[in-house]
Amino acid sequence: MSTLSPAYNRDRLLQALVLAGLALVWEASSRAGWVHPFLLPPLSDVLTRLLTDMQSGAVFVDLALTLYRALTGFAIAAVLAVPLGILMARRRGVQWFFDPLISIGFPMPKIAFVPIFILWFDIYDTSKVIMITFSCFFPIVTATYSGTSHIDKWPLWSARALGASEGELLREIILPLASPSILTGLQIALPVGMITTIVTEMLMGGSGVGGAMIAAGRFADSVGVFAGIIEIAILGMVVIRGLDWLRARMLVWHPENRAH
Amino acid sequence: MGMATDFGIKIEGVSHAYGGGQGQLGTNTLALKQTDLLIRHHEFHALLGPSGCGKSTLLYLIGGFIPVQTGSISTQKGPVTAPGPDRSIVFQNFALFPWKTVLENVMYGLQKKGLPEVECRDIAQAHIKLVQLGGFEQAYPSQLSGGMQQRAAIARTLAVDPDILLMDEPFGALDAQTRRVMQEELRMIWKKRPKTVVFVTHDVHEAVFLADRISIMSARPGRIEHQIDTGLGPERDESTLTDRRFVELGEQIWRLVREQAVLASRGGL
Repeated sequence: MSTLSPAYNRDRLLQALVLAGLALVWEASSRAGWVHPFLLPPLSDVLTRLLTDMQSGAVFVDLALTLYRALTGFAIAAVLAVPLGILMARRRGVQWFFDPLISIGFPMPKIAFVPIFILWFDIYDTSKVIMITFSCFFPIVTATYSGTSHIDKWPLWSARALGASEGELLREIILPLASPSILTGLQIALPVGMITTIVTEMLMGGSGVGGAMIAAGRFADSVGVFAGIIEIAILGMVVIRGLDWLRARMLVWHPENRAH
Repeated sequence: MGMATDFGIKIEGVSHAYGGGQGQLGTNTLALKQTDLLIRHHEFHALLGPSGCGKSTLLYLIGGFIPVQTGSISTQKGPVTAPGPDRSIVFQNFALFPWKTVLENVMYGLQKKGLPEVECRDIAQAHIKLVQLGGFEQAYPSQLSGGMQQRAAIARTLAVDPDILLMDEPFGALDAQTRRVMQEELRMIWKKRPKTVVFVTHDVHEAVFLADRISIMSARPGRIEHQIDTGLGPERDESTLTDRRFVELGEQIWRLVREQAVLASRGGL
């Protein structure tokens, strides 16, 4: 559907109204005392807190810390996992060695490694970033491997017959052909990375949105906890939309980006 | 010219077996058995046969995409060992690079030759015009129809000016009308820029219409069963289709191919 059609605009308006309605129900149920305000503080209180924290700058410090940790871990994971996934698809020996390790690692709840990583790397940023890298690594390597190993031989043969060397084949043909799968892997890994960031911040402390939320919780500050939830929701949406945008930019050639 | 060395492709005693690799059960499938074929310099040669007769295998062996197991294949440049721009190929499914525009697709092989960018662009443009795709330089393959994609693939292959043009059922995925137009255009382009062409097809009339010589392959394991000079002359157009020779050849070759197709179906396929 075109983004300019009246039907599309009407749909978006209705969806916004539903969201506004739910926000109103939240506000009303707390104000009317249907739900104890400690369990669900009024939305207006939460938004006021958010505003105060924005004025003091505290929100931005937490958001920046969380974003920095999440993106650093995610980027390191991408730099490691994409080449490994491609190598696994192209070199039997590499596949032979890593496949069992990844088969075990992929379905494992990576967060279970937090105590070990605290033991090994302490509780500061290094430890958090390693934990985030670790959890982002598996979806990226799996998607890259699967995407690269399912490439048709025809464009590869065409490129070889046009004079491409093995190295050129990898960079100029295989990488772009696998890029939709690689991007899908990144899109799966990013929310995983965000979750891991928040959880490690909650468990290890050191500010960030997760750290601020757990601190608020310890002081029985339920407004603070809900403010954290809204911050995370906004941050998550912005980061994931950003990656969607990047995908659309990188895959302009792909039929998925062609409106019919 | 015209000496004994004036051949396009020399295929001697080539056998090829598939399967039976590591971890695979069962025996090998013999696709080609002791195949000999001499394709003349700048000849338009069609390889015709029932499906599964190994005609595409023979083409991929000439292209160097799969290694020669038994026998030898050589061109003017010597024995074939790997793919190279002297033997460029057009596949049935076009095999364009979908992330590149038409212009970038056609420029790719020229860039690999190390030509300066301006020259690459000029040669590519000329070939895009040759296949009548002018105006679509900046389009991505997914924006084009099947016929236009195949034109782009042909332009990309012709642009590197290969000595030998390999075509693997290039019009098989196109509708009947587009196929006819493409056949006429291909023959016209070939007349302007003579090359040794090996054209794989299972369409008898396509083979007769296009080729100077036709090799009919046997049912699996494939080998060259008959060779026929079409003798239709260099000009091929609408009138060729009603030419008595064309009609007779069509019937004669159809009978020969049918024999092999029947054998293939009795072979438990």
